[in-house]
Amino acid sequence: MKLTVNGDTHDIDVDEDMPLLWALRDELNITGPKYGCGIAMCGACTVHIDGLAVRSCSVRAGDVEGEVTTIEGLGSPDAMHAVQEAWNENQVAQCGYCQPGQIMAAASLLTLNPEPTDEIIDQAMSANLCRCGTYPRIRAAVKSAAAKLGGA
Amino acid sequence: MKFPILSVALLSISLASLTFAAESSAPIADINPPASATVAEGLEAFSRIFEVTSHPRCANCHVGEDNRPRWSGPSYAPFPPGQDWRYHGMNINAGDSRIGVETMPCSACHQTTPDLESKPHTPPHFGIDWQLAPAQFEWFGKSPSEICAQLKDPTRNGARDWQGLAHHLVDDAGHRGPVLWGWNPSGNREAAPYSLQQHVDDITIWGVAGQPCPAE
Repeated sequence: MKLTVNGDTHDIDVDEDMPLLWALRDELNITGPKYGCGIAMCGACTVHIDGLAVRSCSVRAGDVEGEVTTIEGLGSPDAMHAVQEAWNENQVAQCGYCQPGQIMAAASLLTLNPEPTDEIIDQAMSANLCRCGTYPRIRAAVKSAAAKLGGA
Repeated sequence: MKFPILSVALLSISLASLTFAAESSAPIADINPPASATVAEGLEAFSRIFEVTSHPRCANCHVGEDNRPRWSGPSYAPFPPGQDWRYHGMNINAGDSRIGVETMPCSACHQTTPDLESKPHTPPHFGIDWQLAPAQFEWFGKSPSEICAQLKDPTRNGARDWQGLAHHLVDDAGHRGPVLWGWNPSGNREAAPYSLQQHVDDITIWGVAGQPCPAE
């Protein structure tokens, strides 16, 4: 099957039932998306399909319609996405394991809702768990990313 | 526009519905109203309708203006002390859009696919985009008389007479939507009682009987 990830189209020979996360990590060696729970409860595997957040552990590779973007394709160290810049400036990460999912969820939120309130940020980001408890800094970083993008 | 993607999201829902409509062929349930039905028969049919509408597979997403889906039913036990339900985990709020565009679309986890099979504890899915029913169609925690009054009120039921309700059930199921999923939830989820055909039959019996409602 064909998968377009971060602008590149790949032809991979996998079972249609393989979760997208497996295809990304094990077949394409794109390891930014992380395995956490495998049942869409933690958000560590969050990627974008056509710009909006999805849990890649819970999408069958054969069902993917659209372009996949992972943390590797959102921005680069030389040209970071506004959310990545904000994460860096707010020193959000502790251990870092959940952060690719957090950043992809935040970027999706700001696409849908450029001026999120604290309540909206909490609603949108509560499905992305952080065992280090970086939630206050996540909220601050989402707000500064919104400002960078011309929102609030 | 405050939510620039909203119109795109709603358009994609419409397109998905059209796609699955085109794939549907024979009706998935028959609408065969009886020639006549007594009020007693109508009330008996409504008691079964209430068992369906108040069942977790239906009521958990037929919630009111707080836009918060519920987790009730045996697959979500145990519950907080003194409660037989909890809110959907992860602080989920579908917003006034009822489909999550203010925060994160329901479809971030509940994929849109005609495949109704999903494992226990994984996000279930069906053939139209996962979403809450309109807030006016609130069933969760409502009494039989309250749900009966809502079902027969065109201002709160999508402007439908009882024939319209029956057609809505069959159409939704034809799209492999939540109506069909309610009786085929897979995983460890308890299915809605009776069957889709029985439920359509009960709507027509209740309708022919004059849509009688229980006192309470």
